[in-house]
Parts: sequence; structure tokens; C-alpha cells
Amino acid sequence: MKNRLKVLRAERDWSQQALADRLEVSRQSVNAIETGRYDPSLPLAFRIADVFDMPIEAIFLRD
Amino acid sequence: MTGTKEKTTRRSARFWAGLLLGTVGAIAGLALSGAIDADTALVLMLVPVIQTIPLMRAAGRRRDGAAGSLCGKGEAQKRYTRRVALFTALYLLSFGVLTFATAESEPAFALRSVLAVLPGLAVIGIFWAVGRLILEEQDEFIRMLVVRQSLIATGIALSAATVWGFLEAADVAPHLDAYWVAVTWFLGLFVGALSNRIEYGSWGAV
Repeated sequence: MKNRLKVLRAERDWSQQALADRLEVSRQSVNAIETGRYDPSLPLAFRIADVFDMPIEAIFLRD
Repeated sequence: MTGTKEKTTRRSARFWAGLLLGTVGAIAGLALSGAIDADTALVLMLVPVIQTIPLMRAAGRRRDGAAGSLCGKGEAQKRYTRRVALFTALYLLSFGVLTFATAESEPAFALRSVLAVLPGLAVIGIFWAVGRLILEEQDEFIRMLVVRQSLIATGIALSAATVWGFLEAADVAPHLDAYWVAVTWFLGLFVGALSNRIEYGSWGAV
């Protein structure tokens, strides 16, 4: 699954650690999601959507 | 004191990896040459197992930069580290008592049984600590890495035990005490961490 996490984060000038703090996960988690190595669970995907104040489908895209 | 600590924690991952490999090589060399017996080798093999902790920390620091640490160590990981340290200490203590008691005298069967069970219970405590980490870790990615690492270690230990058992049955390999399965599992954790690093870019938490 593709995602726009890196772009959205850059638009807000957030570091991976800053986003990780907002999501209450490790920086490694953010990095793994961002690089497409790990697909988050639905609850975490909703948390990400909440942090960016966007719908999930605007962040995560089908391959 | 603080300066010494900082110097120690700032050792590179390459240093710790070299030290770990050197330690394993030295123990294997001593065991194969007959300089130390199997019991001594078993105790000494704890050293490289423990050395994997600073190795992973150093690798995490290298990856994350100066502010980083191993997966941002959450509360669950801190509790895990404390539990493993406690059970490792209990293992060393109980194994030392067992070795000393059986070397100096011939304890009664009941006492010998109790003393022999204690190191095993301490190792079970480490298994329990890994299980608790999986239950308590709130970060789903890190939890997945720990589960994956444990499954790889379990696969390696069970596979090695099965193959060795048949080799023993066929009189091809010498008899090994069953606790070597646990030692193999701990070494398997390192393989699992390495696999996590390659596959997911993170060593995990164990």
C-alpha cells in the first residue's frame, strides 16, 4: 500500500520524531510506514488521519 | 564516572559486533580444544547473548543520530530490560550454586533436584519477560518485530533440536543436554533481530 505520509509531513515541516510523538508510536514505526515497509493497522491509520485532519483514503492509496 | 559511562555507550555497532563474534569464536575455540567443559561453555555463552543488547543500542544510535535510541524505548521495553537483567542474575546465581554444590559434595537426590530446577526456572523467567513484552508493548510495529523475532528464534531452535535428535538417534552426533535448545533460541533471537533489520530497517526491542 502506498501512502503520502512523507509529503504530508514535509508540508507541515514535521520531523519523523515529531509525527511519532503526535501518534504516540516510535520513530521507527513512522519510518517503516513512510517507506512502505509496514502497513499500519486500521486504528493506527485512523490516528494518522486524525493527526493530519484528512480522510484515510487521502493518505493511503491502493498499489 | 559519567564520562566513562558515556564513552562505553558511544561504542560503535561495529565494535560490539566484532566483540560479540570474537567472544563466540573464543568460547567455541576453548570448548572445541577441550580447555573448558560444556557447563563452562554454557555459562560463557551468556556473554555474547548479553552483548547483543549494546550492539543493538549502538546500531539504533547510528541509525537515529545522536538523539536516537533503540526504538525510542518505551515503558514496556524498560520493564523488559529490568526483568531480563533480574532473571539473568538469578540464572547466574542459581547455576553457580548448582555447580559449586555438585562439585564440592554429593547432595541428596531431593536437594540436587531442587538446585537443578532453579537455573531452568530463571531461564523460563526470561521467556516470560519476552511474552510480557509482546503483551505490554503499545507500539504495534515494535510488537510485530518482537513477535517475528521470537518466531524466527523458535523456528531455528526447534529445527536444530529436531535435526540434532535424529543425528543422535543415528549415532552420527554426540549427545547434547536439552538446555542447548534454549541457548539456540537465544542465539536465534539475534538472527531474528538481524532479519528485522534487513526486512524492516529496525532491530526491534529484544
